[in-house]
Amino acid sequence: MRTSAAPASGWPTPGRLPDAPDHPPEALAIRTAGLSKSYRHNWTGRIVTGLDELNLEVRLGEVMGYLGPNGAGKTTTLKLLTGLLKPTRGDAWLMGVPIQQVSSRRRIGFLPEQPYFYEYLNGMEYLELAGQLSGLAGQEAHQQARGWLGRVGLGERPRLVLRKYSKGMLQRLGLAAALLHQPDVLILDEPMSGLDPFGRRDVRDLILEQRERGTTVLFSSHILPDVEILCDRVAIILGGRLTRVATVGQLVGASHQQVEIRCTVVPPFAPEPGLVGTVERRDRPHETSFLLHDDTRLGEMLAWLLRVGAQVRAVTPQRATLEELFLATAARADADGHADERRSA
Amino acid sequence: MKAAAIARNTFREATRDRALTGVLVAGVALILATQALGALALGEESRLTVDLGLSAISGFGLLVIVLVGTSLVAKEIERRTIFNLLSRPIGRPAYLLGKWLGLSSALWVVVAVLGLVVWLMLEVRGHGGYGPAVAEAAYLAGLELTVVTGLAVLFSALSTPVLSTLYTVGFYCAGQWSWDLRDFAERAPGALGVTLRVAADLVPNLPIFNMRALAAHGQVTTPFHLGLATLYALVYCGCVLALAAAAFESRDFK
Amino acid sequence: MSAFALTPRATRMATAWAVALALGLAAFLIAAAAPRRLPRPQPLEELSYYPSGRCLEPATLGHAESFADLAWLRAVQYYGEHRRTDMRFARMAHVFDILTTLSPGFLPAYVFGGFALAQEGGDFPHAEALMLKGLERNPSSGELAFQLGFLYYVRPGGRDLRHAAEYFELSTRLPDGPPAARRFAAFARQNAGDLRVAWALWRDVARSSQNRYLREMAEREMRTIERAWAAGHAALARRHLGTPRVIVGGAP
Repeated sequence: MRTSAAPASGWPTPGRLPDAPDHPPEALAIRTAGLSKSYRHNWTGRIVTGLDELNLEVRLGEVMGYLGPNGAGKTTTLKLLTGLLKPTRGDAWLMGVPIQQVSSRRRIGFLPEQPYFYEYLNGMEYLELAGQLSGLAGQEAHQQARGWLGRVGLGERPRLVLRKYSKGMLQRLGLAAALLHQPDVLILDEPMSGLDPFGRRDVRDLILEQRERGTTVLFSSHILPDVEILCDRVAIILGGRLTRVATVGQLVGASHQQVEIRCTVVPPFAPEPGLVGTVERRDRPHETSFLLHDDTRLGEMLAWLLRVGAQVRAVTPQRATLEELFLATAARADADGHADERRSA
Repeated sequence: MKAAAIARNTFREATRDRALTGVLVAGVALILATQALGALALGEESRLTVDLGLSAISGFGLLVIVLVGTSLVAKEIERRTIFNLLSRPIGRPAYLLGKWLGLSSALWVVVAVLGLVVWLMLEVRGHGGYGPAVAEAAYLAGLELTVVTGLAVLFSALSTPVLSTLYTVGFYCAGQWSWDLRDFAERAPGALGVTLRVAADLVPNLPIFNMRALAAHGQVTTPFHLGLATLYALVYCGCVLALAAAAFESRDFK
Repeated sequence: MSAFALTPRATRMATAWAVALALGLAAFLIAAAAPRRLPRPQPLEELSYYPSGRCLEPATLGHAESFADLAWLRAVQYYGEHRRTDMRFARMAHVFDILTTLSPGFLPAYVFGGFALAQEGGDFPHAEALMLKGLERNPSSGELAFQLGFLYYVRPGGRDLRHAAEYFELSTRLPDGPPAARRFAAFARQNAGDLRVAWALWRDVARSSQNRYLREMAEREMRTIERAWAAGHAALARRHLGTPRVIVGGAP
């Protein structure tokens, strides 16, 4: 239920935003202003905050990753944008159209988290339905459905009922359903979760293809390597609050880099005195690996290994995991005094 | 246009559901079984066929509504299939309208199939003269089911499948008793009488759709009756769907 | 846009409420007017005279006709069973009463119930009441008036010619009264040809009724009359006719 009357269209005055937009509004695909959602518990009447004063801007043609731990408010945000939830406060615009208007959803494609489908339909029928609901005429919906079923690798058995689809097939069908009306903005909720490596690669390729097309993509994820490959920028949300927006480079670069070096034939030498403390040695039956905590000393480390006659097989930079980034961000948020606002579920 | 797409999908959902097939088979079996009873009915077989046939149409139609209709919207929310629909540029009223249209169409198929079987049985027995009466009574039964479907969509949009079943069946019973309720209201004193009277007018007045007493004797009803029943069904469904739309508009899908 | 302007969602909700209200009002008005303008499936006022049928009727949820059929099956079984065994028909009047309460237009039920009660059950008052109830609910049925005249004409324990003539004549005035009604009305008025008229009436039943039990009843009555007639014992035949619970074949 709404608690405050908000302007139905137009842009909020810049003064309402904590930082003024760097881009003209026309260049924004998604914009939220003070978007908030709180739920009242049915029995206890306790109010829990799902999303608190979100001010987010996604530029046209940009791929933005939306990161956060479970329950941080990622899905809440995406559902608010797609009209499945009603905001408690605040506003949002998709391609300049207020989300309260049904027409705001005309130019978006949405893939819900773990999408569920009508088991009694087949792939063709489902995509036709999706196309028609997104405004395609009957014949065009049919053609697009046929085309997209093939593009996501499901075209060989168009009459197979969805009951018999595997999880990966369903995810690809969901993506096809989100894409077949050629939306300008693609909103994906955990598109890679629960998929095997092949499925993840397929989804990744589809998103990259859409980026080439100029489609704006906002997707939530847990998986940092995917985010790194796909995203221009990343937004991190914790406890219903947006805590950071940065480029991937900024985010990853800011953390300490580690390097893993795998070798065979390493004599049981002690490391050089200068490296003690920055390197860990792990002996396995067929190889030995070293974890170097400071990547600036990689040259020094490699020189030493060659000197002692080790055969170096692989040198792999180790990025900080998303978990570590979360923990770091959370620690900063704690320091800022927002810890009490974390939502319970 | 988009409501039609939803309607087509709902029609598919209903007709591909085993419940509908089961109900159709059971209905046809019941009508055939009454033919065996006919031997005991001392010359009143045609009457028996008409009455039990028409009751089967209403009864099995109601069963389809209970099995499919009362979870129509609730199941979509529970199974989250609704996310894929309402995240598209489709208004929630259009969605509800489509749901109602789709299930109503499926029910009209049930009415038509069972009505045809009843007519065939009568024709085989040489009582083809009952045809028009059966057709009119089946039409009114279809209208009645359409109204009850509207109620099922309303409750299903607001509540859980179990509760919406209770509400729908409750309104069905109250609707069947509405005219008795009105008679009772005339004898009840003061405020109670007025309350009952208003309640009787608010619940769906299902006796409007009942001409089984006439059809049992092979009599047709007046065009006025058919026209008024059609108008009432449309107006009542419109009202119920508008209420459902108003309530659905503020609903969150977590 | 003013701060007080409705948001799109509020507009949609307001529209929905307005439509619901307008259509609800229309439905309310139709519902209020409909009972006066449409045929009533089951009139409650009449049912109130019959506690059992009245209790049963609302429970049929508008399917009184089907329940009447079940009651009809039950009544026929009841009759057949007791005719075969003890010729006691204590509950038959009640069963026919419920059945005709559920389905006031079920004419064959009145006719069969009436004759079974009068001829075999020895319960003329209930038979008469059942037929009168039928005629009251179906005042335009010439067939039912004719059968009631018939019932009076062959009343066990003594014909009621005055009433018989009255209902035969009523039958001639109604649309679906049988052509023979006029003739029988004249016979009843003349108080003549008692046995021939009775035989002719029964013969009509034996030829035309779809009801096996009724046909058997008629054939039995015809044989009784024929036997008495052949023996020249008109008085005996009259006594037979006047005795309830006539046993077929068991000539005294």
